Amino acid sequence: MNEIAVFFLHGLAYAGLLFLVSAGLTLVFGMMNVLNFAHAAMYMLGAYFSYSIMLRMSGQIWLSLIVCPIALFIIGALIERFLLRKVHANGHVAELLLTFGLAYIITELVKWYWGNYPLAVNVTGFLNGTVQIMGITYPIYRIFIFLCAIFVGLLMAFILYKTRLGIILRAAVNDSETVNTLGVNVPLVFMGVFAFGAALSGFAGVIAGPLLSTFPGMAHDILLDAFVVIVVGGFGSLGGAVVASLLIGELQSFGVLLFPKLSIALMYMLMAAVLIIKPSGLFGEEQ
Amino acid sequence: MKLKTNSYIVIIVLFLLGAVMPLVLRRYNLFMLTEIIIFALYAVSYNLLLGYAGLLSFGHAMFFGLGAFVAAVSIIHIPGLTLLSAVIISLVITTITGFLIGGLLLRHKGAYFALLTMAFNALFYAVATKWHSVTGGDDGLSISRPEMDLGFASLSVSSVSSFYYLILIVVGASIVFCWYFTHTAMGKTVLLMRENEERMKFLGYNTNISRLILFTFTGAIAGLAGAFYTLHFQFVSISAISIDMTTAVLLMVFVGGTRTFWGPILGAFVYIIFQNYLSDITDRWPLFMGLIFVFMVLYVPGGLSQTIVSIRQWFSGRTGTQDNGPAKAEET
Repeated sequence: MNEIAVFFLHGLAYAGLLFLVSAGLTLVFGMMNVLNFAHAAMYMLGAYFSYSIMLRMSGQIWLSLIVCPIALFIIGALIERFLLRKVHANGHVAELLLTFGLAYIITELVKWYWGNYPLAVNVTGFLNGTVQIMGITYPIYRIFIFLCAIFVGLLMAFILYKTRLGIILRAAVNDSETVNTLGVNVPLVFMGVFAFGAALSGFAGVIAGPLLSTFPGMAHDILLDAFVVIVVGGFGSLGGAVVASLLIGELQSFGVLLFPKLSIALMYMLMAAVLIIKPSGLFGEEQ
Repeated sequence: MKLKTNSYIVIIVLFLLGAVMPLVLRRYNLFMLTEIIIFALYAVSYNLLLGYAGLLSFGHAMFFGLGAFVAAVSIIHIPGLTLLSAVIISLVITTITGFLIGGLLLRHKGAYFALLTMAFNALFYAVATKWHSVTGGDDGLSISRPEMDLGFASLSVSSVSSFYYLILIVVGASIVFCWYFTHTAMGKTVLLMRENEERMKFLGYNTNISRLILFTFTGAIAGLAGAFYTLHFQFVSISAISIDMTTAVLLMVFVGGTRTFWGPILGAFVYIIFQNYLSDITDRWPLFMGLIFVFMVLYVPGGLSQTIVSIRQWFSGRTGTQDNGPAKAEET
C-alpha cells in the first residue's frame, strides 16, 4: 500500500514537471502554429543557468526561480524577433528547421561551457526536508514541483480566459489578420507568446535541475515525453496538457513498477491507442 | 521530350563516370563514395516526401533503421541467405510497415504530422534499444557480407571495389527508378496534390490513397537504403534508427535543395564529405550542423541546387521554367 502511494506521488511530481514543459510548448504551438524543437533546449539552458546560480547561492533555489525565466524570456524574444519572424513567410518547414537548428546549437554550446557530464546540486533550506503524508515520509521538493505546476496552470488559465490579453490571444489564434486590423500589434503579441513559452521552459528547467540532475541529454529526454503529452492531450489544448501530463506521469511511474522492460514503450503505446481512437487527441479540436 | 533525352544522357554519363571511379580513387575515398551513393538514395526517398508531396516527416529514420536491422537480423538468423534475399526481406517488411504507419499518421498534416512521425521514430528507437536479444541493444550487430547468388554463378562482393560496383548498379538503378517514378502519372498526381489538393479532389482523385502509396513507397526505398547501409558497414547500431539519422537526411535534403530531383543527391555528397572532414578536425560537429541549418533556413532557403539553377539562369540570361524538378512553388 505504501509503495503504491510512493509511486503515485512520484508520478504526480513528474507529471508536474511534464506539464510545465508541455504547457509552454502547446501554448506556442496553439498560438503561432510553430512546433518549437528548441523548447527543450531552452529548458536545459534554464537548468544550467540555475545550476550556476545555485552554486553561488549555496543551494537556494529562489533567486534562480526569478532570474532564469527572465533570462529565457529575453532569449526567446530575441530568437522570435531576429530569426523566427524572418523565416515565417517561408512556411512551416522553414520554421521547424530553424528551431531544430537552434536546438543543436544551444545543446552544443551548453556542452562546451558546462561540460558533457551530469552536474548535481542539492536544494538547501526547507525544500530539502521531508513531510509525512498518508503515513509515508516524502520529500517536500517533489510536492513543491507539483504545487508549482498547479500555480502555473492556474495562472495561464486565468490569463487566457479572464483577461483582455487572453481574449486577444485567443482571437489571434483564430484569425490573426483581423485582430491585426482591429489595431492590435499582432507581431508583438506573438513575440510575447514565444518569449513567455521560453520563460516557462526556463522555469521548468530550474525545477527539474535538483530532481533529475543537470546533464546535456536532459533536453532530448523530456522533449519526446512533452511531445507525447501534447499529442495525447490534443494540440494547443491547455486542459489536454493537464490531463495528458498526469496520465503520462503516472504511466511512467507505475510502468517502471509493473513492467520494467516495457516502460519506455508503454507511453508510445498509449499515444498510438489515442491516435487510433481519437486522432486529434483527447481534448483537441477536430482539424 | 528533349528534356527527357537530356536527362537520360546525364544518367548514362554519371554511370560511366561512376564506373571508372575505382581506377581513379584511393580505397578510402571509394569506400566513402559507396556511402554517398547509399545516402543519396535515402535522401532522394526523403525528398519525394518533403519536396514532392510537401510532407515534413521527422521519422524517416524508422524505415532506414528498420531496413538496416531487418537485413542484419535475417543474415544472422537465416543460414546461407544470399545478399539479394536479405535485401528483399528488408524491402518487404519496410513496405508493410510503411503502409501501416502511413495509414495511421497521414490523417494529420503539417506540424502535427511532423510531430507524430518523430514520436513513432522514438518508439522504434526505444524498441531497438530495449529488445536486446534481437537487435543487440547498445552494442549493435556485426554481420559478414553474404555472397551474391545470381542463379548461375555466385559472386563475391567482399572487396571494396566489387561492392562499390554492386552499389553503383543496384542503388544507382533505384535512384533512377525514383526519378522515373516522379514522371509517372502517380508522381505527377502527388506533385499537383501539393499545389492544390482541393482541385485534385474535385477532379476525382483520391488524394488520401495517393499520399499513402507515396509514403509507403518512400518508406520502402529508405528501407532499401538502410539494408545496403548494413551491408556496406557490415555493422548496424541503434544510431541507424535514431532521430539523428532523420536529422542527417533532413540536412542533406535541405542543403541540396528540395526543389529539384538532383538536389538531395548533391546534398548527400556535400554532407558526407563535410561530415568526414569536420569530424576529423573537431568534436563540435553538431554545432556546425546547427549553424548550417540556421544559415540555410535564413539565407538559402532553396538549397544549393536552387542557387545553381539561379546562377545558370543568370548566365543564360533567361528566366526559364523549372525542368524536371518539383516546380517552383513554395511548399507549405
